[in-house]
Amino acid sequence: MMRHRLQSVSDTLRTGLSAGFVTGLILIFLILIGVPIRLENLALFSLLLTTAIFGVRIARKLRDDGLGAILSNALVAGLVAGVMLLLLMALVNRWQARGIDVRRFFDAVSAQTVTVLSGVPAENLHANPPIDPLTGTYVEGKPLRTDPFRLTFDEDTALHLKFGMTGEAVFDLNLIIGGLYGFLLVMVLTSLIAAMAAWTWIAADLGRIRRRAGTGLVGNPIVYWAIMLLPLIFFGLFWLTEGQGAVDPILKMRSGKREAQLLIAFLIILWALVIMRRAQPNDWGLGYRARVGVVAVPVALILLVGVGRIVGNNSTFIATGDEPRGSQTLSSVALAAAGLMIVARSALVMRATGRFESQFAQALSLAVLLIVPLYLDQYQTDVMTLVGINVMLGLGLNIVVGYAGLLDLGYVAFFALGAYTYAFLSSDQLIYDDQQQPIGLKFAGNDEAVIRMAGWMTITVFVAALVIGAGLWWWRKNRAASGQRRTGRAALLDTSPRPSFGVTALLVGLAALVSLIVALLLDGSSFYQNLFSGASPFLTGLVAGVLVAGIAGILLGIPVLRLRGDYLAIVTLGFGEIIRLLFNNLRDFTGGPQGVLQIPRPVPPNVSGPASYLTLLYLVLLGAALIALFSGRLKRSRTGRAWSAMKSDERIAQSMGVNLVQSKLTAFAIGAAFAGIGGVLFAARQRNIFPGDFRLDVSIEVLSLVIIGGMGSIPGVIMGAIVLIGLPEVLRELATYRILVFGALLVAMVIIRPRGLLPEPPAEMAERARRLAGVRPAPPEQEAEPR
Amino acid sequence: MIESSPSRMTALDPPVLEARDVTKRFGGLIAVGDLDIVVCRSQIASVIGPNGAGKTTLFNCISGFYTPEEGEIIFQGYPIHGLRPDQITALGIARTYQNIHLFAGMTAMENVLVGIHSNLRATPLGALLSMPLTQQEEEVALVTAYELLEFIDLAAEADTLATNLAYGSQRRLEIARALASNPRLLLLDEPTAGMNPQETEETMVFIRRLRDERDLTILLIEHDMHLVMKISDQVTVLDYGRKISEGTPDQVQRDPLVIEAYLGAPADELVSGFLSNE
Repeated sequence: MMRHRLQSVSDTLRTGLSAGFVTGLILIFLILIGVPIRLENLALFSLLLTTAIFGVRIARKLRDDGLGAILSNALVAGLVAGVMLLLLMALVNRWQARGIDVRRFFDAVSAQTVTVLSGVPAENLHANPPIDPLTGTYVEGKPLRTDPFRLTFDEDTALHLKFGMTGEAVFDLNLIIGGLYGFLLVMVLTSLIAAMAAWTWIAADLGRIRRRAGTGLVGNPIVYWAIMLLPLIFFGLFWLTEGQGAVDPILKMRSGKREAQLLIAFLIILWALVIMRRAQPNDWGLGYRARVGVVAVPVALILLVGVGRIVGNNSTFIATGDEPRGSQTLSSVALAAAGLMIVARSALVMRATGRFESQFAQALSLAVLLIVPLYLDQYQTDVMTLVGINVMLGLGLNIVVGYAGLLDLGYVAFFALGAYTYAFLSSDQLIYDDQQQPIGLKFAGNDEAVIRMAGWMTITVFVAALVIGAGLWWWRKNRAASGQRRTGRAALLDTSPRPSFGVTALLVGLAALVSLIVALLLDGSSFYQNLFSGASPFLTGLVAGVLVAGIAGILLGIPVLRLRGDYLAIVTLGFGEIIRLLFNNLRDFTGGPQGVLQIPRPVPPNVSGPASYLTLLYLVLLGAALIALFSGRLKRSRTGRAWSAMKSDERIAQSMGVNLVQSKLTAFAIGAAFAGIGGVLFAARQRNIFPGDFRLDVSIEVLSLVIIGGMGSIPGVIMGAIVLIGLPEVLRELATYRILVFGALLVAMVIIRPRGLLPEPPAEMAERARRLAGVRPAPPEQEAEPR
Repeated sequence: MIESSPSRMTALDPPVLEARDVTKRFGGLIAVGDLDIVVCRSQIASVIGPNGAGKTTLFNCISGFYTPEEGEIIFQGYPIHGLRPDQITALGIARTYQNIHLFAGMTAMENVLVGIHSNLRATPLGALLSMPLTQQEEEVALVTAYELLEFIDLAAEADTLATNLAYGSQRRLEIARALASNPRLLLLDEPTAGMNPQETEETMVFIRRLRDERDLTILLIEHDMHLVMKISDQVTVLDYGRKISEGTPDQVQRDPLVIEAYLGAPADELVSGFLSNE
């Protein structure tokens, strides 16, 4: 195996050399035909070419060697090259700083070689003045140049890395790399990104890798965990050292900083996704307490860092009326509580199944994700919120399209319904006509009419449920006592006996009557006021939004039950447009094209600014996490299997006992309800919503993110949302070419990975079944119900 | 079962399945006409006939894909015609298909779990909240599915996608999926299609095992005469949608109408492509 690895390392090195050789030849050719070569163009060009050549080679090796070999090769080769480069740089810098002029050797090649090699512009690469033996500092004189062996860093003398095909930089990375350490960091960063990319591939092809377990790097837990911790280290270096005086930031970014930070936040999320999938269900031979401890300590440490950030930076995300800028105590407590929940959940799961590694990975990833928002500014928070909302939408649509295979192009309708429901329930706005006369409803959160309506609905539902429940209980008890058994076809079909139509009608009638009486009785008193005046309009809106969207999902589902594929797509597309047009044209009720304005954020009215943004982001993250959890549970349930079977072959699924009507409606309802949550949060984010926000594009975008991420795969959908919604925001630098580049990326994606970025691997259940069967050797419940 | 016609057996043992005057038309074509079939408990009954005789149509009527225009289908004493396929499955009739119809994107395990669907009660809400009852049920289902895979010697490939299984394994998996719904009556549509003589022999043993170990009644469509004659308690012969003969394998083999249908005694009758397959 060792020999094999050495062999493939030398292969890789050869690949690199040949790539460089070809690049060089092409460059010489370009110079010969008179193309002007500038340093940054050169850098960009060789980078592109090398990447392309490496890409082809890697793709070819991938076919032959598998991913494990590639990854280990890439890392080894990168390491070797990096160390050599660093040595060279260190030597050049050190000799130069001591006054030994080695520049002229390099200048013989090109005036810029030394700049590239040392990371310092040539004119600054002078010897440093001597050190005063008394003070230990440099003697005044020439400006001090970057000393590669000290953590001092002079921004003006460092190399500015710019990319551009012409004189003006088109894409300025705004990375200022200072000396040795800067370069080292860039090396780490690049190899990290490369490793994560390679890893994404691996995680996506778990099955294939498992079969290769033990070969190369993939099977080695130490390397695995080392790589796993790299982002953490990077995260620490990147943010924790920033602006802390004592240690200068090694890698500085200027105007592109916030985009870069955002990008890193995304990378961390992706990393977390990959880690969670990659982790094995091992227990590593640790005892239960040790396992809990190993999970709890790093989580606690990470959250402590988060609390430090809250206190140090006042990055609060919970605000009360008394503390409009946010309460540090409450935010810290919330963070601690979340950490406790994470640890407790891991502890519970580990007690039941003994899994350690996967729980450790999950807990760690969740803890990191929890504190990442604290390090974002307002713009970044906003983009993350948008991505989070799209994750919700994607996961919802994933249920309809990815699980149940029902192509829904009008998905935006449920999103719109959620948003408008919250808007109606919470906005204080009056609708005006052209003459600025109020013509429409006042959608006040604490409006009397709304409170009454909510009160009526709650009371009727509550009382009716109570009456029907009591009635059913009485009926069942009575029936059991009398020993009555229904016979005939109805009994055969009813495995769990239900009351007859007469009893049902009686119960429903009774329930309606009683609840009506109760509601009317309470109407006169101030009961509703007391119940709802203090209620947060956000919570009311959330519940209502989910219900409205879910019911709309069922209502859309009923007429399209018999449709499939293209026909279903057309009808749902129409539905989406109808909803938008309704909101657009029912001016008196919805505000028409002028939309609904002044929708409150889910914070007390006098709170605004950073705290409110961050609150929203945390709510979105919570919602997305819950939806992801629910999606996963559904997927693995009886319902999820029915969907999956239905997607595969509707008729056969039906003949296996799947009730198509029920399954389809459930899929539509749950998918729509998730979109409803997204809609409510979207309205809260936007603060003003218009029918134009809910065009067909949204449906298409959400569908694309599901397809690109990987249909039916939860990590895939999250990744899809980041790639499709987050990246365009980050890539704003590319300005007009943004969508073009983006489109090309999508096309390439679909060709290279037709099943999505992170497709769902086949479910692995045999292991668990074996364990269960071992634990419980009793025969399956074959005669559970009377036939 | 010696020399006993099905009608006499009904007196002793109540029929599991009874089709009375079942007629299914497609436009002017009568796919199945006035068909009577009685299958008694723990029997292996075969339906044979040349291609296009209406055998699969009969299966589709029984399993609820088609609703017969006339006649009734009685299962364990209750009429089931007009019910949906999923309801009929829930009542205890499972089937396999002439062309394998597994859920391609799902693993062997998942395929069997879908088969258990009608025996489970979990609701989406239970799954969302991960209720204890749902979890328990899921565990039982998992074990049941695994044991079924063991029964068909496919436990080692439980996590393999159905499409990636060998042909013979796919056939068996389809039967396991049908068994998963815990049926009383199993409809097998050409279980040995595409198999070599040895595999056919194994399948025959397997079908007998099903009947004996799982207390099943089996209705079989089969083209392999050797298998049919060896395994069946009762054979029904269809031609052009009509029943032309019925009885024990011996009786049917000697029936001149059957010989005519298969060999096409008058030269202008249909030439059965079936015999050349033999």
